[in-house]
Amino acid sequence: MLVVRDLVKKYGDFLAVDHLNMEVERGQIFGFIGPNGAGKTTTMKIIATLLAPTSGRVVVDGIDVFKEPIKAREKIGYMPDFFGVYDNLKVMEYLDFYGSAYGIEYRERRKIAEDLLELVDLSDKKDAYVDTLSRGMKQRLCLARCLIHNPELLILDEPASGMDPRARAEIKAILKELKRMGKTILISSHILPEVAEICDSVGIIDRGKLVVQGSVEQIIQRMTGRTVVRIRVLRDMDRAISLLKEQPMVTGVVQEDQELEVACKGSDEDLWQLLRAFVSSDVPVVSFRKMEGNLEQIFMEVTSDEEMAL
Amino acid sequence: MKRWLYNPVLASSLKTRMRGWRTAAAVTAYLGVMLFIAYIFFKISVENGVMYYLSFSSSGLAGLRVYLMLAVLQFALILLVTPAQTAGVISSEREMQTLDLLLCTKMSPLSIIIGKLLSSLAFILLLIISSIPLFSLVFLFGGIAPEDVAILFLFYIITAFAVGSIGIFYSALFKRTVVSTVVTYITIFFLGIVSVVLGAYMMSVHYSQVPGPTDHYIPFILYINPAVGLGDLLARQAGDPTTNVYYGILGLFFGVSRSLGSPQGWFQKLPLWIGNSAVMSGIAVLLLCASAWVIRPYKRLRRKS
Repeated sequence: MLVVRDLVKKYGDFLAVDHLNMEVERGQIFGFIGPNGAGKTTTMKIIATLLAPTSGRVVVDGIDVFKEPIKAREKIGYMPDFFGVYDNLKVMEYLDFYGSAYGIEYRERRKIAEDLLELVDLSDKKDAYVDTLSRGMKQRLCLARCLIHNPELLILDEPASGMDPRARAEIKAILKELKRMGKTILISSHILPEVAEICDSVGIIDRGKLVVQGSVEQIIQRMTGRTVVRIRVLRDMDRAISLLKEQPMVTGVVQEDQELEVACKGSDEDLWQLLRAFVSSDVPVVSFRKMEGNLEQIFMEVTSDEEMAL
Repeated sequence: MKRWLYNPVLASSLKTRMRGWRTAAAVTAYLGVMLFIAYIFFKISVENGVMYYLSFSSSGLAGLRVYLMLAVLQFALILLVTPAQTAGVISSEREMQTLDLLLCTKMSPLSIIIGKLLSSLAFILLLIISSIPLFSLVFLFGGIAPEDVAILFLFYIITAFAVGSIGIFYSALFKRTVVSTVVTYITIFFLGIVSVVLGAYMMSVHYSQVPGPTDHYIPFILYINPAVGLGDLLARQAGDPTTNVYYGILGLFFGVSRSLGSPQGWFQKLPLWIGNSAVMSGIAVLLLCASAWVIRPYKRLRRKS
């Protein structure tokens, strides 16, 4: 359904997308994972015909998107990572507007809009103003918008970002339903386990390169034997990070508020050494938890160099 | 509506624009300003004892005077309001990140630009139409025919189209609405003031180099100034500007264009305001095409491939 070949995007000297290759089968959900600034949004915008690449090729359902962008747009539904709201527009009018922009006749687009609102569970909000909806509702409406012309490929840029667990669960349920309907979905995220749950395959992008690609099971199999530890410190975060960088067993560090997620090589003995290093350095550790091996750990492994540069 | 005539951006804007109090408040404020200034004008005229013009024999002149004042006032307000209406239409879409959503639909960049311009012009048209009752006061005095008002309103629409295109162009060019608005107003200032000064200087240099005013010379820069076109139009509607001091500077360019030498070629033979409208419209069309080019996602690809 989607074939990306040797895609390159340069902004001056900065290489945003570096000879990226990937393939997504029809009817699959493909997770496009990477840290912020890895090139996910750039790649997705190129596929969605919104950005010209420096070189490379993107084919959607046999259509070269650069040669025939108008034709390709009929096949693609794009949802950006930010939901733009028009003032004074009601939910039904919002869908009606985009339906008309896709050239769908009035009666037909009203019918499609009704069906889509039912799909995203917003039928009771059709006369509400868009800017009065909650973030989760807006995201579902945005999803309905990108389905208005019945595209075969959905490009969803971080659809679950900033949403509460309930809203995330709702989006996941809708995506599963869309997969059942035969849609191919390219979904980006920096929260790996969440995407892994619904994806048939994932690709991890780092500094513009697709470093790992395959089914969830294949990737886990390839990358097992690593450990992730969550460490919470009371203060001295900078000292904690430099201490971690000095440890030979540490391969990646991600900071989330006062918590550090650390990817390690080695056994439990090495973890004990790590904890001892913290205690002897007088860094105020309040929590030290070993996480179960999962895709998050792999994500940290393959994107480790950049994360270490925190 | 015919498919090719239907513009989703315009249709949506027309549907939603009149919602809420904002548009009604804007129209009320606009007419309020016009009415207030017209009232002050009348009051000063009465206090200065110029009621002579309101006598039966001179009521036509009084009507003309009120008409000229309203015409210039409305023109100034259009120059003030149009950039505010247009200079943010594309940049605000970019700021709200909705431009990408529009560009990945079947709408072409040019149809998006035209839809945005027409929806802004629709509002200007509403202001112009809502001022008709105020203008109709002129007919109480006489001196001005309804077709004069119709032609004036046509000139307003052409001016709004031209000024609106400048706003749209900068809005497409600059990412931030604040920047595009400021640059649009600076451009309007240049068109309105600097072009007149420059044009007058060019004319004085030109005529100082020839023994007498034997040739017809109007610098091109004056054709891009809508105020010059308005001056010419009003002077023509008012009669011979050289015999009536009350028309003041409005008649200057008409006087210049008519009294100096004989026009050569079809363009120079056209009334200045028509030439002015044609040049402004031509530039506006070019600016709209340029705006569409600027927002096209694939412009760089074609150059590189």
